[in-house]
Amino acid sequence: MTSVTIETPAPATRVAANPAQPPGRRRLRRLRPTTWAGLAFAAPLLVYLVIFYAYPLVENVSMSLHRFTRATFVTGEAPFVGLDIYREVIGSAQFWPIVRQTAIFVGASLFFQYVIGLALAVFFQRSFRLSSVLRALFLVPWLLPIIVSGTTWQWMMDADSGILNRFLAIFGVDPVWWLNAENSLMSVTIANIWLGVPFNLVILYSGLQNIPTQLYEAAALDGANRWRQFWSITFPLLKPVSAITLLLGFVYTLKVVDIIWIMTSGTGTSQTLATWAYSMAFGKGTAVIQYSQAAVVGTILLVVALVMGFVYLAVQRRQED
Amino acid sequence: MPSESSRLFAFEPIRHLRHTISERNTVLKTTTQRIGGLVLAATLVGALAACSGDDTTDDTATDGTGDTQLSDIKVWDPYPQYDESSDWAKYVQSCAPEGTTITRTSAATSDLLNDLTSAVKEGNAPDVIMLDNPAVPDAASSGLLATADEVGIDTDGFDANLAGPGTVDGETYGVPIGANTLGLYYNEDVLTEAGVDPASITSWDTLNDALAKVTEAGFKGITFSGIAGEEGVFQFLPWFWGSGATLTDPSTPEAVEAGQLLSDWIGNGYAPKSALTDNQSASWDLFLGGDYAFAENGSWFAKAASELTDFSAVAMPLPGKDGGAAPAPTGGEFVLAPLQKDDAEAHYANASAVISCLVGDENQVKTADALGYFAANETLRAGQISADPIWEPWATSIESAQGRTTDLGPDYTATSAAISTALQAALNAAGDADQVQAAFDAIGG
Repeated sequence: MTSVTIETPAPATRVAANPAQPPGRRRLRRLRPTTWAGLAFAAPLLVYLVIFYAYPLVENVSMSLHRFTRATFVTGEAPFVGLDIYREVIGSAQFWPIVRQTAIFVGASLFFQYVIGLALAVFFQRSFRLSSVLRALFLVPWLLPIIVSGTTWQWMMDADSGILNRFLAIFGVDPVWWLNAENSLMSVTIANIWLGVPFNLVILYSGLQNIPTQLYEAAALDGANRWRQFWSITFPLLKPVSAITLLLGFVYTLKVVDIIWIMTSGTGTSQTLATWAYSMAFGKGTAVIQYSQAAVVGTILLVVALVMGFVYLAVQRRQED
Repeated sequence: MPSESSRLFAFEPIRHLRHTISERNTVLKTTTQRIGGLVLAATLVGALAACSGDDTTDDTATDGTGDTQLSDIKVWDPYPQYDESSDWAKYVQSCAPEGTTITRTSAATSDLLNDLTSAVKEGNAPDVIMLDNPAVPDAASSGLLATADEVGIDTDGFDANLAGPGTVDGETYGVPIGANTLGLYYNEDVLTEAGVDPASITSWDTLNDALAKVTEAGFKGITFSGIAGEEGVFQFLPWFWGSGATLTDPSTPEAVEAGQLLSDWIGNGYAPKSALTDNQSASWDLFLGGDYAFAENGSWFAKAASELTDFSAVAMPLPGKDGGAAPAPTGGEFVLAPLQKDDAEAHYANASAVISCLVGDENQVKTADALGYFAANETLRAGQISADPIWEPWATSIESAQGRTTDLGPDYTATSAAISTALQAALNAAGDADQVQAAFDAIGG
């Protein structure tokens, strides 16, 4: 930490030295002040990026390559083992089932969040009485602390006396054991969809505002019904906004720990890569503390998110062409 | 230094920049200049402050003899339920030796060991820590703790079963601040109405009979905590040990029997399915609802139970499989001195003073009472129990209680995690014997 802060003012020092440079190299001298000024303006951001992004990332990767235990974590003398821990983690019996669960959790969450969010956004596009109040109410899941909504979902999904089972009983459905090993993935996904709808609603709604109304008027004159208008105007013109919504949604969902942890502590099928990393990093739930293994899973998550970032950039470039 | 450097760093480039910008946009000029300068100056001042921030260490004073004395004592405990204004906080602060002040910090039990790990790594460990007893061997073998000898902690006079977790590989690190254990609470009103005599509950079979009887009478059976992690294992151990299983092999037929017992409770509807995710507070809350006949829970609720007005809750020892009280695990924290890098002697002197104040003969019962614990010394505990009738049912439980780490030392953590996995699977099986068997087979070997 300290070493980083010492290093960072370095470009600025050169800035200060610059005006004192001997004359003669006229062209350089004229070019440099602006370059240095530009660097100086970028410096705060660079400092920030190095301290809060680069340093932790490098530490994380380094941790995944050394075999850390609680004792060696304190002394800092963990032996370097190369990719051994990656092999162990990927080769463990838990890894592929957890990858599968993570894929289902992320995929199902994204799909339903987007579809419901888009449907609501289109619905609210027509303003009617109390529409803005209703739209604001849909933001509630976003505003509530997750500890509150997570606990509430846990109560509602209580197998013996939860309101969901009471409700299902009206239709003669047998009570569901929502939070057991088998069903917990479905349960946390439902809660997470509920949590993510407002985010999709807000972004997609603002995207809809940017679609010129003339297009709809013209389409209506040509005799296109609302369904046709949606598929031929709304959906294609919303593509850039949809892409960013889905990308951000993907990254947010991939790293979800809190709602799952509050509801099930990552037991049964509700264990995802993120909760697995959390439980190993802090020795919580059914895991013993395993710093390096947690760092491996963290790095894998990071690479996946990074790949999605590139996919997004590629999609964006194709749209611009 | 900061102001000088920020002038140099920040405003020189701005002046050059102004030449280029001013021609294009005179309006923006001054604003850009000011904001840019401010941002740069702020960043640099911040960075410099961060560099120099570590210069001020603990207040130290050197007396005539050259020994360093530290006037700030840091104490960490896992009791965040007691805030700054609580009696507990004031009590701890009153233990500060002459000329020192105690700063108390609280964290959740499950976080404290991790917090200590980071603190020792960074060289700013607290002087005194109260650590959950099963975490002590792990902390000691990871080199986080100073030995009792080094610190000067008096380790005599504590019951062997309660002091056990403090000794790792023949070396003693600290002493129990008090002890608690698990028992079986019952709702006297429910049992009376269902026609169950609590005295008849002496074994698993008689307990199961009682559970069948109360559920037939329209009540609910028993609440317990099966949450993933150490807390659920703590609650499982009385059944595990009560069947004759040992921690050295957690996959024996006896262990499976214990898993089957709890699994059947879920399957038969005696216990709530939420036991899978309930912690001990949540399962206690269910019991307080008044519908449940029994609750497996800790002696730390004895006081609250005695003050209930809705129904009368009574405690008894948890039964073993074939009769008699099951060995329950000992709960409660150890009071220890973490390893210090600088001024170790001065830190240890303060630590031993605070520790002897907390658990010395004069104050031990007072400390235990403040936390709802039992004193860890037999004679002192006898006095404590005779002074308050609510402790009476617990006297035999605490004496027959076993340390969780006594058999395995630091390896307990891994075994506990394995048992937690098996227990979760067994509860999920809801009585299915094959699945329970498979759950414990999976952690064998």
